[in-house]
Amino acid sequence: MKFLPLIWSGLWRKPGRTILIFLQVAVAFALFGVLQGLKTGVEELIASARADLLIVHSRVSFIAEGLPLGLIEQIRTVPGVKVVIPVELTGAIYQQPTQRLGVVAVRPDENWQDAFTFHLSPQADAAFRKTRTAALMMDPLAKKYGWKVGDRIPLKSNTQQQTGSGDWTFDIVGTFTDSDIGGGLEKILINYTYFDEARATGKGTVNHFNVAVTDPHLAAAVSDAIDRRFANSAHETRTESLRELAQQQMQSIGDLNFLIRAIVGAVLVALLFATATMMMQSIRERTPELAVLKTVGFSDRTLFFLVLAEALIVCVAGAAFGLALANVVFPFASRFVPGLSMPWVVVVIGLAAAILVALISAALPALRAARLTVVNALAQR
Amino acid sequence: MHPLKQFFGLLAVNIAGITQRLGSALTIIIGVTSAVAVLVSMLAMGVGARNEELGNVRDDRVVFSSTGAQGFQSNIPRDEAATASELPGIKKDSAGRPIVSFNAFVPIEAHRRATGVRIFFPMVGTTSNTAELSPELHLTAGRMFRPGMHELIASNACVRQFTGFELGEKRSIRAIDWPIVGHFDIANMHNCVVFTDVETLLTTFGRNSYNRVTAMLDSPAAFATVRDALQADPTLHIEVKREREATEGDFRQLNALLNFVAYFVGSIMAVGATLGAVNSLYAIVDSRRRELATLRAIGFRGLPIVASVICESMLLALPGAVLGGALAWIFFNGMAASPFGFSFQLSVTPRLAALGIVWALAMGLIGGVLPGLRAARVPVTTALRAI
Repeated sequence: MKFLPLIWSGLWRKPGRTILIFLQVAVAFALFGVLQGLKTGVEELIASARADLLIVHSRVSFIAEGLPLGLIEQIRTVPGVKVVIPVELTGAIYQQPTQRLGVVAVRPDENWQDAFTFHLSPQADAAFRKTRTAALMMDPLAKKYGWKVGDRIPLKSNTQQQTGSGDWTFDIVGTFTDSDIGGGLEKILINYTYFDEARATGKGTVNHFNVAVTDPHLAAAVSDAIDRRFANSAHETRTESLRELAQQQMQSIGDLNFLIRAIVGAVLVALLFATATMMMQSIRERTPELAVLKTVGFSDRTLFFLVLAEALIVCVAGAAFGLALANVVFPFASRFVPGLSMPWVVVVIGLAAAILVALISAALPALRAARLTVVNALAQR
Repeated sequence: MHPLKQFFGLLAVNIAGITQRLGSALTIIIGVTSAVAVLVSMLAMGVGARNEELGNVRDDRVVFSSTGAQGFQSNIPRDEAATASELPGIKKDSAGRPIVSFNAFVPIEAHRRATGVRIFFPMVGTTSNTAELSPELHLTAGRMFRPGMHELIASNACVRQFTGFELGEKRSIRAIDWPIVGHFDIANMHNCVVFTDVETLLTTFGRNSYNRVTAMLDSPAAFATVRDALQADPTLHIEVKREREATEGDFRQLNALLNFVAYFVGSIMAVGATLGAVNSLYAIVDSRRRELATLRAIGFRGLPIVASVICESMLLALPGAVLGGALAWIFFNGMAASPFGFSFQLSVTPRLAALGIVWALAMGLIGGVLPGLRAARVPVTTALRAI
């Protein structure tokens, strides 16, 4: 502790240089924070997706191919299945072709919320079950279009009503939140029964079934059992957990992992080199001063640690500032992946990397300082 | 002495001295190298993606889609599609029929050969007159699908990337077996696409309308004729775009993302490299205080000194730029990437290399200004007294 003023004055011997190194470290770690944050954030999102909530969909194609509603009875009889809820998907636009939203039609049977990641108030749930033309939405969407409970909203959909019209009207009965990332923010929930009765084509089919299991540990076994039941039938199924789906959804970003690693590597190598040369330069310039310190009794070891401490302070302070900056910029960079937040582990890894950079880059200059012989060093003057 | 002569003299001295200050010089070079390498390879993704997207675009082909709709959202009823194909300006074949294809898209899942990971590829329903409409399509094995049959032809990229696309293999879709009857190549395309008869596709999936209509024009100039005729008919809810615009619209999001990432990361790295250059140049200038003071004392002026430092900085940035571009080319050119399920090859072009050099020179220029000013302001008396 008593050396702190000494380290401090060493740092501010050339304020310009220290500030520049500080900024350089900050910039490098801001970039590190954002990139590593994206990578780790995605991994954390996948890990947090529920593994005990199963989606039963057609083996052909999740998007384009549906399943008959009738399968629900057979799925129910699979041991370990708690709740099965049919889900149909379609798209709609509100007022303008650019204002698109997803329409999720569910059948709010008993305990239906167990099979979803949605949360809604008991009042909203009751109103949703009671009203045939009910619609629920998430707050951001309601805010975007200024919708309130009680409003009737006209939507245009590719799915036609029996009258041949693509115009649908729904009554807003409440809002919900979704803890899952996959479905996006701009979607509404409607009643499957009403939707299926009113539509002109595709009656009696669903896009997929959501299945809640009695015991999370059974999820994998239940999912295999369901698929076995429909093997070699006209409607072969594939059952996947939300986590598996998230994994596949994020796989596309996984392709960029190599690039992220390469960039982070390049940044750190360049930084390492820059700090190392600067420390070397600094020690070279201060040789006489260091010699004086030795003359007045500072040991080799103390000098070694003094130099290391200088590098550590600049690097760690710079990294902390850079990571804080990354935290500010992060929402902007992660807008392509909904639901992503800066993981704290990245900050920890970043600070550890900063310490490593400081130690490696200052090791040689510190050694040089420690090995100075007083006579030679003073003779340089 | 003339300032210009002073400048060249100074520059020669600076360059001769680089070997004595190798550490600082290397810091600049390495910093610039990594910044340019990263920028160029990131931009190479965008270029590669664009090459893949627009590689087969023709000026005399147009795409009809429903007004305001994007990509697969488009929806064209049969009667409107028929009307569109009769518009003036659309080329006719030898039998007098318009060269038009009605298209419908269904995403189907496939599994990657290497990893088994699931990915979606488009199954495209089309009319079988591809020879006239898409001359860039070449069958490499097997035969064309027959209208009315559940038959598929797959691009060779499917076979390379995914399992289950060999000739004669059957894919089960809607409980019907669809055999693969042919393989084809489309020049400049690395993505998996599967074609089948559009009417068969619509029937199988219970649809009543197409997604898009593609048509060949009499000539690229006939676009105006088609557009005007289309706008003159108020019963049609469709719009026409040149193939290039339609494709660019489809990929706008992907391109925006790739460009954002490239320039975001590239700029941050450039700032870092510039800061490093400033620091190194300060160190170089400081170690030459005596020399600079002497030069000032014997009549060297400020401006040539500033210019010589800036020039030295840019000269040091230059090898960094070349090295960075070269590294990007060696490691990433031709590398296959498929972020977000779209496959393409990274492409490091001369234009990108030139851009890298421009960025590097800018880093050198900006980085050299402050150290240059300090060099020019070395106070003669104190600097010389410090000897």
